[in-house]
Amino acid sequence: MTIFSLSDFGVHIGARQLVSGVSLEIEAGEIVALAGASGSGKSLTAMTAFGLSAGAGKGSARLDGEELIGLPETALARLRAQHVGFVFQQPLTALTPHRSVAQHLGEAAAQAGGKRPGHSAMIAMLEQVGLADPQSKLKQFPHRLSGGERQRVLIACAIAHAPRLLIADEPTSALDASLRREIIDLLTGICREKQMAMLLVSHDLASIERDADRLLLLKDGEVAEKGKAAKIASQPTSKYGKALMAATPRLTEKLTPLPVPTDRLLEIRDLSVRFRKPGWRSGYIDAVKNASLDLARGETLAVVGGSGSGKSTLGRAVAGLGPVTSGEISWQDERLPSRGKRSRKHRQLMQPVFQDPVASLNPRWSVTDIILEPAQILASPDAPPGQRKSLVTELLREVDLPPEFASRRAAQLSGGQAQRVAIARALSCQPEMLLLDEATSALDPLVADGVSKLFRKLQEERGLALLFITHDLALARRCAHRIAVMEAGEIVECATREKLFGSPSSDAAKRLIAASG
Amino acid sequence: MRIPLIIVAIIALAALIGPFLLPWGHAAIDWDYVRAGAFEGGHILGTDDLGRDRLARLLVGTRITMTVALAAALVALVIGVIWGAIAGWMGGRTDEVMMRIVDGLYALPFMFVVILLMVVFGRSILLVFIGIGAVEWLTMARVVRGEVMALKQRPFVLAAEAAGSSGTRTLIRHILPNIGPVAIAYLMLTVPQVVMVESFLSFLGLGVQEPLTSLGILVNEGAEEMDVRPVGLLLPGGILVTIIVCLTLAGERWRDRLTGTGRAKASG
Repeated sequence: MTIFSLSDFGVHIGARQLVSGVSLEIEAGEIVALAGASGSGKSLTAMTAFGLSAGAGKGSARLDGEELIGLPETALARLRAQHVGFVFQQPLTALTPHRSVAQHLGEAAAQAGGKRPGHSAMIAMLEQVGLADPQSKLKQFPHRLSGGERQRVLIACAIAHAPRLLIADEPTSALDASLRREIIDLLTGICREKQMAMLLVSHDLASIERDADRLLLLKDGEVAEKGKAAKIASQPTSKYGKALMAATPRLTEKLTPLPVPTDRLLEIRDLSVRFRKPGWRSGYIDAVKNASLDLARGETLAVVGGSGSGKSTLGRAVAGLGPVTSGEISWQDERLPSRGKRSRKHRQLMQPVFQDPVASLNPRWSVTDIILEPAQILASPDAPPGQRKSLVTELLREVDLPPEFASRRAAQLSGGQAQRVAIARALSCQPEMLLLDEATSALDPLVADGVSKLFRKLQEERGLALLFITHDLALARRCAHRIAVMEAGEIVECATREKLFGSPSSDAAKRLIAASG
Repeated sequence: MRIPLIIVAIIALAALIGPFLLPWGHAAIDWDYVRAGAFEGGHILGTDDLGRDRLARLLVGTRITMTVALAAALVALVIGVIWGAIAGWMGGRTDEVMMRIVDGLYALPFMFVVILLMVVFGRSILLVFIGIGAVEWLTMARVVRGEVMALKQRPFVLAAEAAGSSGTRTLIRHILPNIGPVAIAYLMLTVPQVVMVESFLSFLGLGVQEPLTSLGILVNEGAEEMDVRPVGLLLPGGILVTIIVCLTLAGERWRDRLTGTGRAKASG
């Protein structure tokens, strides 16, 4: 039985047509995914039919045979309350901070006109979503729960009134890789068991073939490809689908050869970073414990781990951008001093590229000024203006941006362009190593793939050593020679990619690989 | 935001140019027309008890009030930005100490402090705005500190450190320019507050000294004769209220615009 269908559905905001010609049908117990880059209109498509976006819908959207387009807001609100459940991306902001879990559940269950559930019913609801210790969780407020727990509560709320259709808008993007698998399995399990229809909005193409039955690939508000999820994932037919699938790293893909590393540059011995816990005399957190690593010229070392595993702290400590409690960092057998004492010569050796490309550029500066900053301070403070100008043009060419970008402001750049400018800035003082802190994870798949290809090219041309911090195992496998797995501040395993993915020895590595598969 | 600013600009312009267009100074006494009504002997608004032209006094009073307000707000801006930026940038113990000083000053009855200064050092315009500026910078310092602490966490500051930029250079070249809009917003909100304080002091007879005048003095004089000549109170009072309301509106609108869309984050 068809629960939800769209036919020739479009969305416009004012005069701008943002989505057009989307048709889909979801049966009971079936999961259909809407995938695409950010700005492709996937969330708009899912939300507009229910009056939950700024846009206006046209065409036809039917829930249980009832036409949604043109319904007044009161009727839509009744439909939403009775027949549709929503799971959003940000579990913290989607829960009301001053209301306890029990209040959330009560409200969600009662919204369809039903009775407020009793204590034992609520506990059953929480058990159903796999929340440990539901008895004590009922009384708690959202900020006391972890990200995964919040998302489970949100799911419990979404299905509390037994909706016919569940809309999950990027339900796992804000979560850790290992949690991601659990939550998505929970959602799909509930759907199949309760014969609910689910519309899953996702940009995570790598796992979509396991999550969804059918898939609609959106590009610029139009359907680029639709069909069985497994088929699109393995053999896409559209040009966009092919490009997207090639850009998305998978654990199962064939390994491609990497540049050959040469002499050793960086050596880290027993590095520890310890933070004082906030508050009065409340002890310490060991963010990094006795980490030892080394890195050669032309080599890529990936540091992987869940959030809070200490990988970013380690990277910052190495680059002299964060505190070091004990241990040694040396460069070609010369010991590097601590954060504040690094000389220009030391700073010039390694440069960082961060996750959020827009926030890593000063919004008030021009691209030229941004790119030249390290060069002016570290490499050639007295270079004449002409030479500087040619350096900027040269660097922009190297990161595949046209020379006109030199006069733009940081605020005028897109995410991918901003990240390329950040890379040009890092290169401007001729460093020998780059610290890449999740440098591609805030970008769309195609853009991220372009940027990681750029790193590869730069590594070949300049013999750069890359310390690549990421949570994406498949990406690490694709581009790193060796991979260090971190958990709770410790490096639990460090091996070549062939060995780590062939025969992982630590539990943490096995868990991460299982979660990413 | 535009209309309130235009109104304030018109008032400011009138106060600046107006006195030069009138044949009488604010302190000149016209013996023939003491306590004259409107339009008598060419005095558009008449004269006061001492035969001084009301319009001239009104314009000069507005000019003095606005000058004092702007100067005091600038003093507040400079102290507030420097104090807040240092506290926010240094963090840790320095921040604690500096902000506790601010808290302590907040706790003082600041009007009392200003009055004390006036009594001890005598009345002078300079002292009025130094005194007011010195107490009005506290809010500015808190706002700027918060802003600096937020900016300090942004990766571009870390990138500047990696580029070898010294702390002072980063603060001046990266952080302070990004504080600009917020500081201007609070400057616009400080000016009306200072107008208020200055008028209050003058009303008490502690602010500007005769024969110079300000809106506060005019309101005071007007209040004494409001049963006979309500215009004497209504005009300076009206201008005072207009300035305060318009600047507050403009300042709040500007601040809301900043906190709304101005800091849009990158879409992931």
